[in-house]
Amino acid sequence: MSTRSRILTASPTRRELLFGSGMGLGSIALTALLGQDTAQAGVLDAKSPHHAAKAKRCIFLLMEGGPSHIDTFDPKPKLTELHMTKFQKERTKFEANMNTGERYYVRSPFEFKRAGKMGIEINTLLESFGGVVDDVCFYRGLKAESVNHPTALYHLNCGNQFGGDPAVGAWVAYGLGTENRNLPGFVVLPDVAYPQGGAANWGSGYLPAYYQGTPLRAQGAPVLDMAPPPGMTPERQRANLEFLQDLNRRHRDQHPHHDDLAARIESYELAFRMQAEMPKVLDIDSEAPATKSIYGIGGPDKEADAVGRRCLLARRMIEAGVRFVQVVVMGWDSHDYIDKAHGSRLRAIDKPVAGLLADLKRTGLLDDTLVVWAGEFGRSPDNGIRQGTQAWGRDHNANAMTVWMAGGGVRAGSIVGETDETGGAAASVVHPLRDFHVTLLHLLGLDDNKLRYFHAGREKQLSQVGGQVISELLA
Amino acid sequence: MPRARMLLCGIAASAVGFAGPAEDLFQTSILPALKRDCLGCHGEGQTLAGLDLRQREGLLRGGQRGPSVIPGNAGDSLLYQVLIGKGALSMPPGGEAKRLKPETLAAFKEWIDGGAPWADAGAVKWTYAPADLWALKPLSVSKGEHSIDSFIRSRLREKDLTPAPAADRRTLLRRVTFDLTGLPPAPAEIDAFVSDRSADAWEKVVDRLLASPRYGERWARHWLDIVRYADTNGYSNDFERPNAWRYRDYVIRSFNRDKPYNQFVREQIAGDEWKPGDVESLIATGFLRSGPWEHTAMSVEAVTRQMWLDDVAGAVGTVFLGMTTGCARCHDHKFDPIPTADYYRIQAAFASTEFARPAAPFLQTENTRDMEAGKARLQQSIEKTDARLAHFRTLAEERLRAKQSIPANQSLTPAENTAAMKELSAEEFEEFKLHQKHQQLYRESLDRYAAKAFAVSSGPMDGATDGGPNLKYSKRAEYTPADVNILAGGSLQAPGERVAPGVLAAPARYGGFPEAAIPTSTDGRRLALANWIANAENPLTARVIVNRVWQYHFGRGIAADTSNFGKMGAKPTHPELLDWLAQSFMEDGWSIKALHRKILMSETYRQAGGHPAMKIVIERDPANQLLAYFPPRRLEAEEIRDSILAVSGELSLEAGGPGALPQINEDVAQQPRHAMGSLQPAYFPSPEKRLRNRRTIYMFQQRSLADPAIEVFNGAGPDLSCERREASTVPTQAFTMLNSSFANDMALAMADRLVRESPSPAGALRRAFLLSYGRDATDEDIALGAAHLTKMTAFHRAHPAAGPAKQKPIVHTITSELTGEQFRFQQQERPPGYEENLHVSAVAPETRALADVLLGILNANEFVYVY
Repeated sequence: MSTRSRILTASPTRRELLFGSGMGLGSIALTALLGQDTAQAGVLDAKSPHHAAKAKRCIFLLMEGGPSHIDTFDPKPKLTELHMTKFQKERTKFEANMNTGERYYVRSPFEFKRAGKMGIEINTLLESFGGVVDDVCFYRGLKAESVNHPTALYHLNCGNQFGGDPAVGAWVAYGLGTENRNLPGFVVLPDVAYPQGGAANWGSGYLPAYYQGTPLRAQGAPVLDMAPPPGMTPERQRANLEFLQDLNRRHRDQHPHHDDLAARIESYELAFRMQAEMPKVLDIDSEAPATKSIYGIGGPDKEADAVGRRCLLARRMIEAGVRFVQVVVMGWDSHDYIDKAHGSRLRAIDKPVAGLLADLKRTGLLDDTLVVWAGEFGRSPDNGIRQGTQAWGRDHNANAMTVWMAGGGVRAGSIVGETDETGGAAASVVHPLRDFHVTLLHLLGLDDNKLRYFHAGREKQLSQVGGQVISELLA
Repeated sequence: MPRARMLLCGIAASAVGFAGPAEDLFQTSILPALKRDCLGCHGEGQTLAGLDLRQREGLLRGGQRGPSVIPGNAGDSLLYQVLIGKGALSMPPGGEAKRLKPETLAAFKEWIDGGAPWADAGAVKWTYAPADLWALKPLSVSKGEHSIDSFIRSRLREKDLTPAPAADRRTLLRRVTFDLTGLPPAPAEIDAFVSDRSADAWEKVVDRLLASPRYGERWARHWLDIVRYADTNGYSNDFERPNAWRYRDYVIRSFNRDKPYNQFVREQIAGDEWKPGDVESLIATGFLRSGPWEHTAMSVEAVTRQMWLDDVAGAVGTVFLGMTTGCARCHDHKFDPIPTADYYRIQAAFASTEFARPAAPFLQTENTRDMEAGKARLQQSIEKTDARLAHFRTLAEERLRAKQSIPANQSLTPAENTAAMKELSAEEFEEFKLHQKHQQLYRESLDRYAAKAFAVSSGPMDGATDGGPNLKYSKRAEYTPADVNILAGGSLQAPGERVAPGVLAAPARYGGFPEAAIPTSTDGRRLALANWIANAENPLTARVIVNRVWQYHFGRGIAADTSNFGKMGAKPTHPELLDWLAQSFMEDGWSIKALHRKILMSETYRQAGGHPAMKIVIERDPANQLLAYFPPRRLEAEEIRDSILAVSGELSLEAGGPGALPQINEDVAQQPRHAMGSLQPAYFPSPEKRLRNRRTIYMFQQRSLADPAIEVFNGAGPDLSCERREASTVPTQAFTMLNSSFANDMALAMADRLVRESPSPAGALRRAFLLSYGRDATDEDIALGAAHLTKMTAFHRAHPAAGPAKQKPIVHTITSELTGEQFRFQQQERPPGYEENLHVSAVAPETRALADVLLGILNANEFVYVY
């Protein structure tokens, strides 16, 4: 049989080609790992945007739990006046139990200080961040819809309160493709614990699986089962792979028209190289100490160190051509002890986020990178059962929040929209969340009405029903 | 084909146009306001001042004072002027007290400035060719003898193609065994078929497989994909649905018993109404609750209810009718003749449906073997948790007593008890909350051992309502079903016209299948709907299921979009075949097994997995839509896991009962995951191999924790209905198959089995090929395997295996939501009594070497593809 002679003559060179070491990162198709299928080559190619736009990629800083606008970027002196004023909130058809009954206005326990040329008053714990606000556009007019974490998170991340739809990052990767076929289009850098609703927050939904967010875990193996089991030396694994691929090639010879077989052979070759190469991509120790320190890495605050590492990794990913990186910072759900709970969050993000913006600016990346900071909703000016004692916090509030953007195409150094005098509801330049999604896509050169995918009988889009660009946020 | 479809979408999309913000405003604000405040005088019954506001033309024409609206110019539009009361006239009558709310006025301004678009229900004009309505027409079967092969061949002839020759028996047996049971054929079964020279040898194989209990386990999985089965609720707490497993077993049973499909439909939509008191039918209604669902103190009750109504109205359309009814939630369906009213009429058929978890005695056939042991184990976890909670309560109390000098004989007031908790340190309190959350989750799970059904009732079932402590139900005697209104834009805040319960109007309008009257009483709504769906004259129902079954056999439906028979779905490649199959399916008593037989006995099914003239076939029919050869496929995720277990000898064929917990990636098992206010407990596989090595369909399906090994091979997600599994190839699959502890453990177990069962290394290799690939090994196979075996034996002799690593306690550092401080906690330890897998250190180097060979054999393409 001819198969045998082919193995004998062809395989040694092929093996060298397959498993030879010393290949640089640029030459290996990490793609991949990450989701390329040779049968579908091209799905991750860079695509033209719908319109010219400055931003070509995005870092989305997701503040899970609902950061309080009142205690961060939208202070309300009126609450100091109203502090401990009691009132009764009716239970209506559209209120959750949590928000009804006897309630008390509560003041912010934090100090505020003017920052930047625009003079925005921000929490004094954001000292480093105060130095970069001139690159930031704060938006105070946004409204969410759900006051429930998992549904609100799905809404922010995937445009739909039901789970299962594609995440914003998946849409962007789908719309723009990737600049580097060796890396995924959409990477997620989660916290140690996964948020409510889990991985569906970065799923590809009905879009092809290639656009799914690839989580690089903060603890344990960054990619599942990438490390061989104990006792599996490289030598042993190489021998096993050679045997496996011999079987595969013989099988393929019997089914020459079945393309999937070649794709699967290829995928094992990529996987083997990935094992060696991926750790290098993730190795942030190659960065200069000065760079690391502006992100808060190695500083006294352990949490800032952890967030800083994720922010620096985000920059490395963006630099290498990833379209969309989502950095998750958990723990903003401060119903109680907001002074402590939000205090620690603010300290944890101050240097990392300021460092990220400064570093992007230093490297010129800020010109064509969009940075977004948002939680799933804002918080209430009042508090229920805590009765305004020192343990007070704030409940969920879908009617008001602050989000901000920075980078390519954004009206830097401005404050857009406002909330009412207690911070209970957005009052000017008010837009629903879907308009924020539409604006985010617009800044990346994508038109939500054109960025569609046919599924289950209709053309679907991130905003669900269409929306409006919030022009005030644009430069 | 995909390209052709995309083109079609492009044309359709540009022709229809899209809802912009002004259209959206019209739906959410303008239309409701017009109806509420204007139409009473200017449209419905009377048109005072000659003004009719029911249609856009009326606004443009206006009344005695001239046009009401100048599109694009609100300031100059009379309507806007009178609404804001700027000029002489002010509306609605009644002065400032009756003035519309500022936000409504703002909406009118924006809407008129945006061109005053109109999108009234009924205003959408559907445009389609008659061919787009094929699924709504009655079945059309010409007189005379028909067969699958004659239909298939006549289309092949049109392209001047001939069918492939018959597949060889080994290939065929492997194909049909996976197809019907999801498992590889056993060596004895291969022998029997290959050596059977009788004329009905194939028929005997088909009958044997259809009679196997493994058949229902495979085919129920297809159904569970469509209905989105899971054992938990999803969202923030992801609480267990402790009796949902009985629905899973119900589906398996129904397939195994070849339950008539029309009965299967009735039971799932209205089993409780159809056969009151029948446990089987009650369990079936779990279907109606199979989507993700949660209600907490942070949810809004009206929203939770509406989300369920939306879920169920969409699911019934997708699952049974192949109609994307969900698209008509916000506006009339853009492509199919489904007005929004129809969508809400179907919702109204469920308006009296409430969640129930009534007592339902276990059936003889249900597996209750592990009930007591399982319950005892869970109770142990609860007790441990209770003990930790008690420890912290005592600690807190002692501290408070010491601080406030409260004597030991004086019991604490509730206020003092609350105050005492503040005596715990932040870290202590976090751990307290963690145990509290775990206790809450465990308690909810305890009911999985109770003889209850995860079901529904018409009107609240007093004493057995379900949904958790946050939902309030009225007594059945005081209950009236809520009205259902058309919701503009799908929004609860914009209720429009009230609708009566009903069904889709399109089959009557376009195919002559009459609508059904759905009662408005509390009882009987769902049964009437179910009867309309399960009616032999309904043009959709039989076509949809027959087409699904075809897809599972051939990888592609006769109509390729099996859940979308509307205009945007692919048209059937063989419409006459589909209709003939649907008709004979009903004539055979809606028997799925009879349908399988018909398909499997065809030559089309039995042809080879490739074609002698492949180049020509690829040129004329690149996607093999005409079936000139049998389409090869990659195994589905469950088949891969089950097959690895089967060939390694580790598969436990025990059926039914509460979900078991498989061995999954350990990092994922220990991954901290948020539950409302705290964290989920760590994941541990079932200690007994008998349980954790059962077929995948019996594994506990937790919405927030998918088995990554299933996920990576395109397993069905539990949130969206999955009509067809994809088979993408990504390198992370290689990691799972090569590096996971499961794959390596199973290769070792298989090696150990083969060494014990085979007299020689060559015999072991021969056996491995037969088990894994369903064929005899060639001499080259053996030579290749033996060479690798020799090499690896030398390796393992030189590298002794280290003993099992000691389980180290896992400590996580998490930031407290409550205080923002970091707290460390030790992950729970694996419960005692774990039946370990065979460890490498317990076997000889030769066995470890054989495991390396087997790992290669199991990773190879021949293992995961069927032809």
